[in-house]
Amino acid sequence: MDEIAVRFEHISMAFPGVLANDDVSLDIKKGEVFALVGENGAGKSTLMNVLYGINTPTDGRVFIKGREMTDFDPKTAISMGVGMVHQHFMLVPSFTVAQNIVLSREPRKGKVFFDNAAAQRKTRELVEEYGLEVDPAEPVEELSVGLQQRVEILKTLYRGAEILILDEPTAVLTPQETDELFAVIRRVVREKGMTVIIITHKLYEVMAISDRVGVMRKGALVGVRNTSDVDERTLASMMVGRPMLYDELEKTGAPGDVMIQVQNLTVRDNRGLTAVDGLSLSVRAGEVLGIAAIEGNGQSELIEAITGMRKIESGHVTICGQDATGLSPGAIRDLGLAHVPEDRLATGLSRDATVTDNLLTGKQRRPEFNRFRFHQRTSTIERYARELYEKFDIRGAGTDVTVGSMSGGNMQKVVIAREFSFDSPVLIVAQPTRGVDVGAIEFIHSRIIARRNAGCAILLCSADLDEVFRLSDRIVTLYEGKITGEYTGPYSKQEIGLGMTGARHDGKEAAS
Amino acid sequence: MKKINWGYLGSLCISVLLAFAIGAVILAVAGFSPLQAYGAMIDGAFSNARHVGDWLEYAMVLCLTGLACVLGSRVGIFNVGGEGQLLLGAVAACQVGVWLTGLSAWIVIPAAALAAMAVGGLYALIPGWLKVKVKVNEVITTIMLNTIAASFCQYLAKGPWKNPNKNMVAATAQLDTRYWFTNLIPNSNLSTAIIAAAVITFLTWYIMQKTSVGYEMKLTGQNPRFAFFSGIKTDRLVILCMVISGAMCGLVGMFRVYGVEHLYRSSISNQYYFEGLTVAMIAQYNPVTVIFLSFFFAILKIGAQGMELSAGVPNQIYLIIQTVIIFFMAAESGIFASLRAGAMRRRARADIRRKGDESHA
Repeated sequence: MDEIAVRFEHISMAFPGVLANDDVSLDIKKGEVFALVGENGAGKSTLMNVLYGINTPTDGRVFIKGREMTDFDPKTAISMGVGMVHQHFMLVPSFTVAQNIVLSREPRKGKVFFDNAAAQRKTRELVEEYGLEVDPAEPVEELSVGLQQRVEILKTLYRGAEILILDEPTAVLTPQETDELFAVIRRVVREKGMTVIIITHKLYEVMAISDRVGVMRKGALVGVRNTSDVDERTLASMMVGRPMLYDELEKTGAPGDVMIQVQNLTVRDNRGLTAVDGLSLSVRAGEVLGIAAIEGNGQSELIEAITGMRKIESGHVTICGQDATGLSPGAIRDLGLAHVPEDRLATGLSRDATVTDNLLTGKQRRPEFNRFRFHQRTSTIERYARELYEKFDIRGAGTDVTVGSMSGGNMQKVVIAREFSFDSPVLIVAQPTRGVDVGAIEFIHSRIIARRNAGCAILLCSADLDEVFRLSDRIVTLYEGKITGEYTGPYSKQEIGLGMTGARHDGKEAAS
Repeated sequence: MKKINWGYLGSLCISVLLAFAIGAVILAVAGFSPLQAYGAMIDGAFSNARHVGDWLEYAMVLCLTGLACVLGSRVGIFNVGGEGQLLLGAVAACQVGVWLTGLSAWIVIPAAALAAMAVGGLYALIPGWLKVKVKVNEVITTIMLNTIAASFCQYLAKGPWKNPNKNMVAATAQLDTRYWFTNLIPNSNLSTAIIAAAVITFLTWYIMQKTSVGYEMKLTGQNPRFAFFSGIKTDRLVILCMVISGAMCGLVGMFRVYGVEHLYRSSISNQYYFEGLTVAMIAQYNPVTVIFLSFFFAILKIGAQGMELSAGVPNQIYLIIQTVIIFFMAAESGIFASLRAGAMRRRARADIRRKGDESHA
């Protein structure tokens, strides 16, 4: 049991301007589940990319099963028994499961032709050997995200992996799928003696699955513990480097008038397929309505339709009592809506513009920022930007730098600062803390609740279920563009998980 | 904008020096004395008041066309059709002058300017509208529209609007002399148009850099989805900028007719818009840089012509130098980024080593 599977010796990894790994030494034992935790940018993925041969370390050595890694490229790493499942799957959607699994090492007929039967047979053998149930003949695009992940794992096993790296594997899974994944991990570790390294920032998962846990902060490994010796609070403090306060968010006031009203809304996605299907919902003033859904079930399209970013096929949207159906984003904002979009880089920011310019957006025509509604009052604008910068605790090199040079968490704070400072009666918040570190999450959550307590109607959409649970007064689950259930606290994770996979709240299975 | 981008300025100077150095090698290989040739170039540009007037006029053309290109690129649309807009503006302005012969210059010149801007603007509206409404790539449409415009103007000059003088082939009727812009330096191309050009240059810079509209334009160009999301009417803004860009090009055509040629013929513009576009690209679409570079390239071009006359060196050396500068400026970001990244990596490695030594000690 104490055989060493991987040894990192004094690994340092420098990228232009940052030291992503700072003298990391770590032993990972054969047959254990090792969790690597840390905030975003702490260097977890960098370290694992070294092991998988994507990064060549600036300094230090890596040993796999006692053999030193000399060439750093994925091919070598794979041949030494390392497999990695990335956060974003690398599968060919139109290929079958078997074709994906054997890709790059295809069985051949007469050295030339692809042998599909052999591929299916080999896949079936793998499936049976590891007990990872999946149909080899099914095209990957037909599979759920959880099953696609299973295909990724099978792919690494096919290539002979004994050390499996999982990068944020549960980010896209429902609670049920997460449980299944953990069962799979336990099985491959117990029965096949594999070593699993799991990168995550969900601490309860660390507690649930790992034997040992390593905490990284600012590129350095700050501690390795037996999971049984620590609790979530200790880990969180190690991650941020100061004691963490999990303050209970204080929610005050009672819901008021209906501010967002969506009636029988139907919206198509980019491929022209129905993404939101006759959906109705309403949000009252002083209330947070959370949407719980697996990615791709229409939540993005719903929000885009409400905010005017996407064409509405049929149905109505009412904001603050006024019809907002089919208006432009600008006109809807004028009705009293502010919007934190799910993808800050594509929609929420201009990365080439300065922090000041990004904070000003939407208010540039206001009289206080313009002489004769035309000539910009530069000093007033700069002062205003600095105020918001302070108020929203943005940390960076000031307001004159481009937003693109900031960390994800600070970029998100720029978006939050801008949108929350409209003091609008309606707020749409999508993925407010995606890729944001723990300290900033606390801050953003408290800001959202502050707006709620001030009487703002908030529609929240997040892939992070814990976030939805924590902030929402009410939750609806969305599946294939339809609402499958409505819940008020105390929430049951299992029940909501079922709603997210299409089982109706009343117990009946949803159509299709 | 308040800060000077020293990195860019340094790259530009190095590129220019390298371009001259390479030009010198080519001159030497071709059997000319580089020193003598470059001397003749400076001489050609500055020794004669007429030449000074010529390059001032040419700088005006480069500056206005360059800014027209910058205006489009600011909102994310690449106007390659300025040449066509310029030609149409020129022929329209000229014919308005011919039609209104007899009326006061106070009526004719504004009317001609309006006609030039309207025609250039409307011609730019086509690709602008197509880009916004049906997502047709503006580079393709504008290039094709250039050809159509050039052929159409040629047709007008040879056909319906032909010069009554039988010896003039492919030229429209001449303007009455009282509509000609006053010449500022005798025998040169320089006319009072440069005053109007200076005003337009200032306005363009002011609107782009100092106003809320300019701010919205910049956001639209940087991230159109974000601009739309924040409530800016991006479609309208893109079309508007394209139309103004076309109107500016049309006006340049009018300046060429009323200031230099006094009738329309194809020599009104010898691909001048593309030279302006080149300036805009080298200037990385910065309006102030466009202004300075316009003078630089104008001096270079007129100087090269003088050099050809006095030293017998083909003025194509101008094209070589210009092309090499473009080449280096295009490679600039890549070359400098890799140099900087290399330096940083070395420094990081050194830091790690030093830290290691300290901890071992």
